[in-house]
Amino acid sequence: MKTINYILTGLGGQGILFMTKVLATTALNKGYNILGAETHGMAQRGGSVVSHLRVGDARSSLIRAGEADFLLSMEESEAYRYLPYLKKGGKLFANAASNAFPNKKTVNFLDKNGIESHAMDAAKIAMDLGSPRSTNLAMVAFYSAFDTGPLGADNLRATVDQMSPGPFKETNLKIFDACYDTGKKMAAR
Amino acid sequence: MKEEFLLGNGALAIGLLEAGCQIMTSYPGTPSSEILPEVVRFAKANKLNTAIEWSVNEKVAFDNAFAAAISGKRAACCMKMVGLNVAADSFMSAAYIGNIGGLVIISCDDPGPHSSQTEQDSRLMARLGKVPVMDPGSPGEARDMIKAAFDLSEEFQVPVLVRPAIRVCHARQNIKYDTLESNLTKADFKREPFRWASTPKFRFLQHKALNEKHLKISEKFDTFTPFNMSTREKGKSYPFGIVAGGVPTSVIQDMFEDVGRTDIPILKLGAPYPFPEKLAESFMDVCDKVLVIEETDTVIEYMLRDRHKTLGRLSGHVPMEGELVPEKIEGVINNALIGCGLSPLTTSDCGAEAMTLVGDLELPVRRPTLCPGCPHRASFYAIRKALPKAIFPSDIGCYTLGSNLGVVDTVLDMGAGITMASGFYNAYIQDNVQKPIVATIGDSTFFHSGTTGLMNAVYNDSRFILVILDNHITAMTGMQPSITQGDLVDGRKGNPIALETIVKGCGVEYLKVVDPFDTKNMIQTVKDAAKYVNDPGGIAVIISRHPCVIGFKDTAIPEKIKVSVSDDCDDCGFCHTRFECPALVRNEEDEKTEINSVLCAECGVCLQICPTNAIERV
Repeated sequence: MKTINYILTGLGGQGILFMTKVLATTALNKGYNILGAETHGMAQRGGSVVSHLRVGDARSSLIRAGEADFLLSMEESEAYRYLPYLKKGGKLFANAASNAFPNKKTVNFLDKNGIESHAMDAAKIAMDLGSPRSTNLAMVAFYSAFDTGPLGADNLRATVDQMSPGPFKETNLKIFDACYDTGKKMAAR
Repeated sequence: MKEEFLLGNGALAIGLLEAGCQIMTSYPGTPSSEILPEVVRFAKANKLNTAIEWSVNEKVAFDNAFAAAISGKRAACCMKMVGLNVAADSFMSAAYIGNIGGLVIISCDDPGPHSSQTEQDSRLMARLGKVPVMDPGSPGEARDMIKAAFDLSEEFQVPVLVRPAIRVCHARQNIKYDTLESNLTKADFKREPFRWASTPKFRFLQHKALNEKHLKISEKFDTFTPFNMSTREKGKSYPFGIVAGGVPTSVIQDMFEDVGRTDIPILKLGAPYPFPEKLAESFMDVCDKVLVIEETDTVIEYMLRDRHKTLGRLSGHVPMEGELVPEKIEGVINNALIGCGLSPLTTSDCGAEAMTLVGDLELPVRRPTLCPGCPHRASFYAIRKALPKAIFPSDIGCYTLGSNLGVVDTVLDMGAGITMASGFYNAYIQDNVQKPIVATIGDSTFFHSGTTGLMNAVYNDSRFILVILDNHITAMTGMQPSITQGDLVDGRKGNPIALETIVKGCGVEYLKVVDPFDTKNMIQTVKDAAKYVNDPGGIAVIISRHPCVIGFKDTAIPEKIKVSVSDDCDDCGFCHTRFECPALVRNEEDEKTEINSVLCAECGVCLQICPTNAIERV
């Protein structure tokens, strides 16, 4: 299989590492080899955090600029910051107000490179359903609704189920389902 | 057989235990910090008898492991690369003396740098100390190299350095592993003073013997597959070849496979020193030009010793600083190929157009900052409020980020907060100027390297304020326990040591303890200390004590205080420049500050700092 590359990004404290773990565990459960690169230490303290995840048989953990299939961002500004990683025909998913995203300066670039962009206010949905810290899972659910890539929505949901600690399980799954539905409606449009 | 999505540091831990490492010591430092806790986790799960400790510093860790190794046990110590500087005194002698049981040193490099003061290349330290070195390209390879390193170390009775770079340590990979077993070798130290305590005359002989070992290891490295190997075909010659080591090798192999390029041979040198002379020479002989790609210095490039054929950093083909990320390597190879009249690997602009676009978007600068509720922020606020015109030498830890708040003027190395305070005092007092100086250092850093400087300052009658920021933990590197609490790496209780005892033991007479969350009291304490420093004169130590909000989540903020910002906020910006709490966010439209309730730790300290009292209790 050709290696499928994910860039996951946001700010320190937004749970990018957990989000990476959900995708990676799902890939592992499906029998794929996985390789990732994480941010730790000083860089983790509130700064811009990026996580690389490669599903397939790669040797090196970093994704080369222009080679990412998917970019999932917890923050609008970070979605822009990591655009250089997306390949032609790649897909971008951002936690952002959908009417204002992407900004005008970026639209030409995305069009020229055939990059699809999708935005949902994941933070608001997670907050409304009682767990603003689960915005990371909300973004995984949103991505999964577009049915693209090797992981599969059902498998991702099962991983969230498996990895959520007891008291948070119900809320996390509720948020997952709500964001999946929102994504499905957008995908159908 | 189990399978896990392991950090490279976890893969190293598996390698250590598979190799039967019995004694394991370390001091935390990014990117090495997770190795030891992972060793603990696997040792517990398999009920191994491995002895594991967080040492007070890297030199202590090294000496500890060395003694075990000369008692016949397999021992390892791990650290970040600047930690090897701390252990350098021992490291430089260790290869001369040699060992009995395998001794492996893991020194993790940080090209970038991402979380370090330098981009130094541990392979150069290996050369300096005449210690054989291995340079893994992936977590899986790192695990295999550890086992090979122990075997090599025992075969030649010489310590071996393994230097994983950050992209190995903090890469994650699915790794399969089996049940692990204890190594039951007993300690059996044989007195041999001419070896273990040799005088200079014998050191000369040991040096000679070491050089002879090196010749043999170099020969072994000529055929040390899969760590050292070449993809050239016998009898074929090439216009261009690549020599690479460590992480760049993996990047290059992936890239060549992606684009399906097979006309350029690669010489992989995962074990570059002692240099595999014959392997390298046979590669050089069949290539017209050779491009060297290695992190972060010019170890292989120097050892190839051919000015005419070799392209690399010295010829200006490879950047002299910064991490060799894949797109950079892509650009370097493309340019070198074009320069040699060959077709490039790709026609990609290596992300240049997109990077220009992103640059033009003027995205917010995301600099690292202290966490919401961090006690260091409160300490820094009080220190600056009390003595705004002081010089602020500081140290290595989360609190280095006090530079954002204008309360960290210098950071040199572990312990330099105190030693440089002495130096500043001397420089000013020579001119008869009583310059206020406030040094800051964390509790773990104080134990690591602070006491020597404090004793020196007391002995030589330096005068400054030292604030020990005691958050009971080694926070920056991932919440390793501190000696003040006495918890050991495996969860058992050791013997805690009170900072007060050490400070007084260093001869300090003026000592106050405060909780920085009470900013008013801390401001006054710093002012009082400033008076003492000049009259009667001496070192004034303040222990600013409050647990880390991340490490002690449940207890660090006993009374949660919800706050909001009222209409009195006049957008003066004071809270942003002098307090910089991520939970205080400026609303660009309203031109007022707001509380981000998701981020807010509810510590309530900000209630004490707003000049217009616009921050209120809810």
